[in-house]
Amino acid sequence: MNKRKGRLANLYLFMVFVLLYLPIFYLIFYSFNAGGNMNGFTGFTLEYYQALAEDTRLLGIVVDTFLLAFLSALLATVIGTFGAMMIFYTRGRKNRNVLLSMNNILMVSPDVIIGASFLIFFTVLGISLNFLSVLLSHVAFSIPIVVLMVLPRLKEMNPSLIDAARDLGATNWQIIYKVIIPFVTPGIIAGYFMAFTYSLDDFAVTFFVTGNGFSTLAVEIYSRARQGISLEINALSTLLFLFSMILVIGYYFISQGNTSKKQKSLNKSRQEAIDTL
Amino acid sequence: MRNLKVLFVGIIAIICVLFVTSRQMRTSQGHTGDNTLTIYNWGDYIDPELIKKFEQETGYKVSYETFDSNEAMFTKIQQGGTAYDLTIPSEYMIQKMMAEEMLIPLDYTKIKGIENIDSRFMDLDFDPENKYSIPYFWGTLGIIYNDKFVDGENIQHWDDLWKEELRDSVMLFDGAREVIGLALNSDGESLNSKDDELLAQAARKLAKLPDNVKAIVADEIKMYMINEEASVAVTFSGEASEMLDNNEHLHYVIPSEGSNVWFDNIVIPKTTRNIDGAYAFINFLLVPENAAQNAEYIGYSTPNKEAMGLLPEEIIEDEQFYPPDEVINHLEVYEDLGVEYIGIYNDIFLEFKMHRR
Repeated sequence: MNKRKGRLANLYLFMVFVLLYLPIFYLIFYSFNAGGNMNGFTGFTLEYYQALAEDTRLLGIVVDTFLLAFLSALLATVIGTFGAMMIFYTRGRKNRNVLLSMNNILMVSPDVIIGASFLIFFTVLGISLNFLSVLLSHVAFSIPIVVLMVLPRLKEMNPSLIDAARDLGATNWQIIYKVIIPFVTPGIIAGYFMAFTYSLDDFAVTFFVTGNGFSTLAVEIYSRARQGISLEINALSTLLFLFSMILVIGYYFISQGNTSKKQKSLNKSRQEAIDTL
Repeated sequence: MRNLKVLFVGIIAIICVLFVTSRQMRTSQGHTGDNTLTIYNWGDYIDPELIKKFEQETGYKVSYETFDSNEAMFTKIQQGGTAYDLTIPSEYMIQKMMAEEMLIPLDYTKIKGIENIDSRFMDLDFDPENKYSIPYFWGTLGIIYNDKFVDGENIQHWDDLWKEELRDSVMLFDGAREVIGLALNSDGESLNSKDDELLAQAARKLAKLPDNVKAIVADEIKMYMINEEASVAVTFSGEASEMLDNNEHLHYVIPSEGSNVWFDNIVIPKTTRNIDGAYAFINFLLVPENAAQNAEYIGYSTPNKEAMGLLPEEIIEDEQFYPPDEVINHLEVYEDLGVEYIGIYNDIFLEFKMHRR
């Protein structure tokens, strides 16, 4: 009975993954189609990858998009980490909840509204729409995600660690750098990757604030789709999919490195305790 | 902590590399200061070779940006914060932009080659005397059919859409002006009619159509017709030319009793920072060789009559896209009906869409 249940569960899991991945593989498959459209596979070609390599405008946009994602995620991580600490160490439950709710409101409010309000905000301030305006808005909408990733780690932390550090004469800065940040590192890394992916695939907010020769991949693909998506876009999506797979694997190794080291030190201290006994 | 440091140093290194690459790509394309011309156009709506040629001929560097709808373009320019030197809206949007004073009147002393444009496409209602705009491409609304399923002889007029044999096989374009316009046209009336009696009559006529309608869709028509999911559709000539390229059984007909003619015109918005460059580009596009090359690439109908002489005969003699005069004379531009009648048109269309079979 149990075995059968397990098999059914596996089948269900398998179906879910098939449903999730099929469209992506469909798209990848047709990026090699010599026929020029997605209606039928007529032969294998790398023509679209070649066309992609020659499309300097599109490649420039890819570079800009990644630059934007890396940079905005970095800034958002720095600000968000300190923001999480600020929220966590705010005195009074009520104040803390108010701050946290203000953070969460930004998480749940629709991108379109955030984008439109940024557009109005930038034009009122006279900031012209270019890389800077997109960067600022991406940092802004990434911060709440980082806060939410870091906060749980802070909650897990034993408060007596800080008391102990203070007893041993640590200054506030030392407490942050030597105690808190090392402890919440996994949260920070997770926050960075979340902010990175949010920035990479955001369309709605970016759509409003791009301009003056600066555009991101999502906006560009959307504009091109009017004429029917060319297989060049399929080729590009394939490369991006490979890239995100590398990203996931990289993230796995980084987080794996963290835990194994922790385990090692844990084992070591256990060994030492046994030795002294 | 060390982990985090390594990660962040790595990320900063990546950022630096990307930044330098991005800079280099930009300077290698020659974008420096005030020689940049920013063109805001529909996606894939110019032959990229022409942009290269323009850059070589004039020394300007083109920054090409794209939009997907007139409304998106309008909002972007109206909000400010952009520096577009040229844009190419459709005729109704030009009217709206004129009303909002977003356009710069053209200085005809700086424009060479305007005489190349066919006079039939100049001085139209939406922009009298072409004070603000110059035609870029034009096209029509018509019927596309698949000769595998229907006999072309039977699909020549709007009235044919009501024929019994087309039961459940017509796709309509999802637009109030288009659908009500074709009902008005089918009775020989103007598609800009503001006569309540005629509109009511059109609504009654439309009420008989739903049995034949398979779907009311927009851009998807292209895909469905190429894949032969429907035998007849109402669509624009620009879309039709692309469908014809992909499926040889398709044919496009402009009903001779009248239909819509649309224009995409070049305008200079007030956000321009390089007005000389904008004029240089307009002049460049008016050169017959360039207009012909562009028309061959895009597949829409060019208004440049000198360019038509340079196009292959099979394109020029194709009545599907370059209809004879007697058809053109029956074509009308959508006029701005005013808020009240736009509301009435939308109501009729909504009622039509909600019709139950």
